Amino acid sequence: MTPPSMLDIRNLNVALLNGRPILRDVSLTVAPGEVRALVGESGAGKSMIGKAVLGILPRGLKVTSGEILLEGQPLHDLRPAARRRRVAEVAALIPQDPLTALNPVRRIGAQIVDPLIKIHGWARPAAQARALDLLHRVHIRAPERVMQSYPHELSGGMRQRVLIASAFAASPRLIVADEPTTALDVTVQKQILRLIRELQQETGTAVLFVTHDMGVVAKISQQVSVLFQGKVMEDAPTQAVFDAPDHAYTRALIAATPSYADPERPFSPVPQSLIAEMSAALAMEVRR
Amino acid sequence: MLLRSILARLLTTAVTLFGVAVVVFTLIRVAPGNPIAMMLPPGASEEDIAQLTALYGFDKSLPHQFVIWLGGVLQGDFGTSITLRQPVDQLVLSRLPATLELSVMALLIALALGGGAAVLGARFRGSPTETGLDLASGAVLSVPDFLWGLLFVLCFGVLWPVLSISGRIDPGLEFDFTTRFYVIEGLMRGRLDVVASTLSHMLMPAMSLALPLAAMVAQLLKQNLKEVLVQDYTTLSRVHGFSETAVILRDALRNAALPTLTLVGVQFTFLIGGTVIVERLFAYEGLGNMAIDAVINRDLPLIQGIVLLFAALFIVINLLVDLSYTLLNPRLRHG
Amino acid sequence: MAETSLPTAPRARVRRLNLRLWLPLSWIGTLVVVALAAPWVAPHDPLAQDLFFERLPPFFLAGTEPGFWLGTDSLGRDVLSRMIHGARIALLVSVSAALITCIFGSALGLLAGYYGGWWDRVISRLVDIWMAFPPVLFAVLLVAVMGTGLTSVIAAIALIDWTRFARVIRAETMVQARMDYVDSARIGGARRLATLVGEILPNVLPSIIALLMLEMGIAVIVEAILSFVNLSISSDDPTWGSMIAEGRNAIHFAWWVLLFPLIALFLTVLSFSQLGEGLKQRFDPVLQ
Repeated sequence: MTPPSMLDIRNLNVALLNGRPILRDVSLTVAPGEVRALVGESGAGKSMIGKAVLGILPRGLKVTSGEILLEGQPLHDLRPAARRRRVAEVAALIPQDPLTALNPVRRIGAQIVDPLIKIHGWARPAAQARALDLLHRVHIRAPERVMQSYPHELSGGMRQRVLIASAFAASPRLIVADEPTTALDVTVQKQILRLIRELQQETGTAVLFVTHDMGVVAKISQQVSVLFQGKVMEDAPTQAVFDAPDHAYTRALIAATPSYADPERPFSPVPQSLIAEMSAALAMEVRR
Repeated sequence: MLLRSILARLLTTAVTLFGVAVVVFTLIRVAPGNPIAMMLPPGASEEDIAQLTALYGFDKSLPHQFVIWLGGVLQGDFGTSITLRQPVDQLVLSRLPATLELSVMALLIALALGGGAAVLGARFRGSPTETGLDLASGAVLSVPDFLWGLLFVLCFGVLWPVLSISGRIDPGLEFDFTTRFYVIEGLMRGRLDVVASTLSHMLMPAMSLALPLAAMVAQLLKQNLKEVLVQDYTTLSRVHGFSETAVILRDALRNAALPTLTLVGVQFTFLIGGTVIVERLFAYEGLGNMAIDAVINRDLPLIQGIVLLFAALFIVINLLVDLSYTLLNPRLRHG
Repeated sequence: MAETSLPTAPRARVRRLNLRLWLPLSWIGTLVVVALAAPWVAPHDPLAQDLFFERLPPFFLAGTEPGFWLGTDSLGRDVLSRMIHGARIALLVSVSAALITCIFGSALGLLAGYYGGWWDRVISRLVDIWMAFPPVLFAVLLVAVMGTGLTSVIAAIALIDWTRFARVIRAETMVQARMDYVDSARIGGARRLATLVGEILPNVLPSIIALLMLEMGIAVIVEAILSFVNLSISSDDPTWGSMIAEGRNAIHFAWWVLLFPLIALFLTVLSFSQLGEGLKQRFDPVLQ
């Protein structure tokens, strides 16, 4: 008997209120300390998996069936308040857009410290020390000054560092990183990515890393799930996927990614014919 | 930068006040009929009229009269009330505290009721609770303060007489006021019976004034809250483990309050404008009640003084709102 | 993240919208019919005093006299008959005052919003000055200056409330004037005034109509307020306001004299404002 996975998603279905499916029978696991990438084009539903786990699905979207187990405990059984507390205890989120993910009228320090005090029950001095320490570890030069700043006084990259620090603050055992570099400049993207990997390795936190970029997948993850229109097309170790992609769609995604290591290699968008064929296949499946 | 915009505001303010002065002044004097004749009881002699005309300077040309009056105003001399035979500024200032206390009380009630309804509506957005609150606030909003006042008089003054329907304080109370701020002075001197009596007299007029504004605050603040509640930082707070109510109160309220504030400022001036008739309705001894008496008695200097004071009050409130908007918004404060 | 709209919402709105139009319309329709037919519908002469019948309670209380359904006031005048005749004055004032206010205020708003420059500066400054007056005090003052009577009341309402139209219509005109269709009309050779009347006016018309309805309700109230301070038509004429004033004075002896006109005012004001909102939704091309 293996120890329980950090996160275990079984046959998860999410749909719009009018019944249109967003996630179809998604199953995946994340082992403690492991990084699993969720990759797919926009609209593939990859972000929705993380949101379903954290209980922040947008209004109008509902989990229709399936189970989510966090450290072996089914979240489905919990009442909303207990579920919220449980998730906050175990998991954290690095959001996509650092420009909108910080409250514009509150100081940075309060935004990191408040959850520690109010949710995790820390004493204020301890929480403050923790915040300073983490701001330090995300390579922010003057943490004391940043604590006193308002979000608009920081650059996008700085804000993403703050958000990463905040995500790691309460020592979560699972972090959902929802395309954390998409909204940033290319140069900053690499720094942020390196930072997340660095902290992840130091702390041994498991990460569910949502991205559309196969290049990022290769750099950060050990496992990868490839999604298309809410369905997992391929689920395998990252190395295996890059060595010998099983599914035509995965091959197409890899081919569509420009490579920094080999800039000469040509890249091409995912062919429309393939997308049409796969959509048709999915539609057939629904009818059955 | 901030200083310059304040200076610009003060300048337009002065222009507006000057305009108000011109309008009142001309309005009263272009009225058909001799203003002096309007002041005097019927059957006054020619001599009386001539004497008064000279006394109030009405024998001079209109612009000349205006300059004389404005010169006096700039030196703090607003003239003498014809009916009450006292300096206008003293009369007006003696009534101002009553109106201020009433208006502020109404504002507080409106913010509490409207804010509460907005938070409740946002908390249960998309549910029948929200629809119910929307319908209720829509109906409350379209009924003006005057009608609410009448309804309260009928309900709580007569059919179920729990509140007094006239005056500002129980006349039987023995208390020597040094100021005219009954609530504040009662509180400071520890006379809770005085405070209670004043508040109970104030409750119905204040509620009448507050209800329409409360409905407006409820609608606008709820709309703003709902817009804020789909922002990423509120989502992040939910992930941090804060309950929906906590997210609304901690994260959303301050962001949503900023755009609401501008409206509240403008509406507060309307609310103060409403005190005129509501004070009349409840025989509340404030500025508005005095103003209507002044109009009925054709007390020109008093009318001018009161209108000018109201205008100044409105302008000051708008100025304060702009200022607090800047102070509450960190982006503007540093920018 | 945009909230996904519920697919059931539009149907619910249509049903409420109809009620919103029909309930107010039926009340106002009743008022119009009753006002037109007042001499034939009213059971008594509204001015006839009869001290033998003073302060008779309405039909549902003990001690009533047949024929005086809603009771009588302190001078023995029939409350129902006075209300029916009062509806005439209320409607007359509300329609004529609102129309004049609307035409005057909207014209200024259109001019300020479309021509800008000096037009805008002068009109906006006037609006500022006007808004610095407490409206009720202003109305009382105007009627005192012009002398009591129907025309004075109507003129006073128009002179005070034009700012409401001017402000709203100015802002909407400014928005419309920046739209592309205005440019294309101008390039097509239309003159400025023709563009204003032909292109912009139809687009701000829904707002004008909504404001007009609102103003009709407000005009009824202003008339009642002026009657209340004894400055309206003439104290003998049966207006709802004078009935309310009389009811306020006799409140401890004959509260019904206040109650019934108060109900009529409530319903009328509510009807006009709901009608305005309903019509606005009905005719606004954007909201449909």
